[in-house]
Amino acid sequence: MSSNEEMDEAARLWAIRMQDPSFDDWDGFTAWLESHPAHLARYEHVLAADDWAQDLFRTPPSAFEPAPAPHAGGPPRRRWAWPAMGGLLAASLALLATWTMLGHDGGAQEFVTGPGEHRTIALADGSQVVLNGGTRISLDPRAPRAVALAQGEALFTVRHDEARPFVVTANGATLLDAGTMFNVVSQNGAMRVAVAEGAVIYQPGPGQVRLDPGDALSVSARGARPVVSRVSRAAVGSWQQRQLLYDDATLDDVALDLARNIGQPVRVAGDAGRMRFTGALMLGDTPRQTLDRAGPLLGVRFEARGDVWTMTPTHAMSQ
Amino acid sequence: MRGDGRDRRQNAVSPIRQATATRRTSGAWTADRSRTARVGCAESGSQALKTEQDEAMGLQRIILEQRPRLLRFLAARGAGDEAEDLLQDLWQRVSAATTQPVADPVSYLFRAAENLMRDRRRSMMSRERREHDWHDSSDRGEDHPQGERVLIARERLREAEGVLLGLGPRVDHVFRRCRLEGASQPAIARELGISLSSVEKDLQKAYRALADLKAKFDAE
Repeated sequence: MSSNEEMDEAARLWAIRMQDPSFDDWDGFTAWLESHPAHLARYEHVLAADDWAQDLFRTPPSAFEPAPAPHAGGPPRRRWAWPAMGGLLAASLALLATWTMLGHDGGAQEFVTGPGEHRTIALADGSQVVLNGGTRISLDPRAPRAVALAQGEALFTVRHDEARPFVVTANGATLLDAGTMFNVVSQNGAMRVAVAEGAVIYQPGPGQVRLDPGDALSVSARGARPVVSRVSRAAVGSWQQRQLLYDDATLDDVALDLARNIGQPVRVAGDAGRMRFTGALMLGDTPRQTLDRAGPLLGVRFEARGDVWTMTPTHAMSQ
Repeated sequence: MRGDGRDRRQNAVSPIRQATATRRTSGAWTADRSRTARVGCAESGSQALKTEQDEAMGLQRIILEQRPRLLRFLAARGAGDEAEDLLQDLWQRVSAATTQPVADPVSYLFRAAENLMRDRRRSMMSRERREHDWHDSSDRGEDHPQGERVLIARERLREAEGVLLGLGPRVDHVFRRCRLEGASQPAIARELGISLSSVEKDLQKAYRALADLKAKFDAE
């Protein structure tokens, strides 16, 4: 007489009513169970689905967890154990970032890397964000396809999903992923995005700018006019491999990159900022090592005053 | 609109009068089941007052008094021929529990019986699963390491959250308040200024959608 779906509906209603502590229609429930041989099975089915849903919703609320650090061996670590593991892992190239959780019940979580630290965050959808040093991003587990880059540099490798676009916001700019891999820098009010694979839409809407592989776009200040340039695709996010690749870049830009990667400020003196560089810089283990290697290639000399490095053209020094 | 949930409930109850029970039963209670059921209903109110003190003893006494009703429930609830054994379990559970005064002891006993059946079912399922896993140990578990299982669970959680939101913000809210935060249905109804049956209807929608989702995942 009743279809499975009707029986399921009735079974659900019984399960729901029974949740209420004041439920007392036990005879009615007994009679319902007796009234059709399939009712008990449908009811058990409903309870099993409810158990399943309860378990599912008890899945840890974080939509992401740190990917294993490349140099860390040993047993798999639980997410909760990470802060305590910091000392152990700090020796590796990719220093463990300090990370803070803002709000424990699925609110936005902030991930911060200290100077010179790298940090990989694996998102639940298979996407990945690698944070360069001095970077702060926030993620909301309830909106796992949206990342706010507050400061610093991050390389996004996004699993594309037409139905659920991946959105990065940085310095008031909105970047909509239409592809896979791109690098975003947000520093002192400026924003720069470079695309390695796929495509990114800058400020989706009327007047949007589509960036294809090898395209870069920079905005010098919030709301300023965007400038599109070309980069080597291999250069995009190359900092992750401990190298910085340039194709006719100004040393102003190189200085910013160096500062972010060594975790110390780099000032540009003389006309060094207007000089240009094409090639690769290897990042060393210490700021001094990095800059000692970079200096001759860039045609500059680095001098330390306290924690601040000054970059001066070699030709200026000889004058 | 709001009356729908209640209407459906009435429909669900009505077969009691048709008495088309085809369940296999132990037989002991079948002869006078309709009489017992009616008597039980009528009595439950006054019993609540009598058994405030000496709770465990009182509850056991009520088990004796309500024995036919409880047996009938247990049998229909899946105990079948073992209803007598399970009533014995219930007796022991009740005497082991250091009970606080129970507002409605009869309902309390039925709920305890319901929980007994749920526990029994769960332990049966997990035993079956263990045996199944043991037989299939070569190709189960190994291909889904812990981390991947967590990722799958999160992916599914997100899908479930999407499904709930798709039912509208109120359904989503009601489900969360009730099933995840443990708020009572009357409290939710008061919070939202809606009827209890609307709350039930929202929960029913959520349950239906989640069951569909589970079926989808199970088929994957």
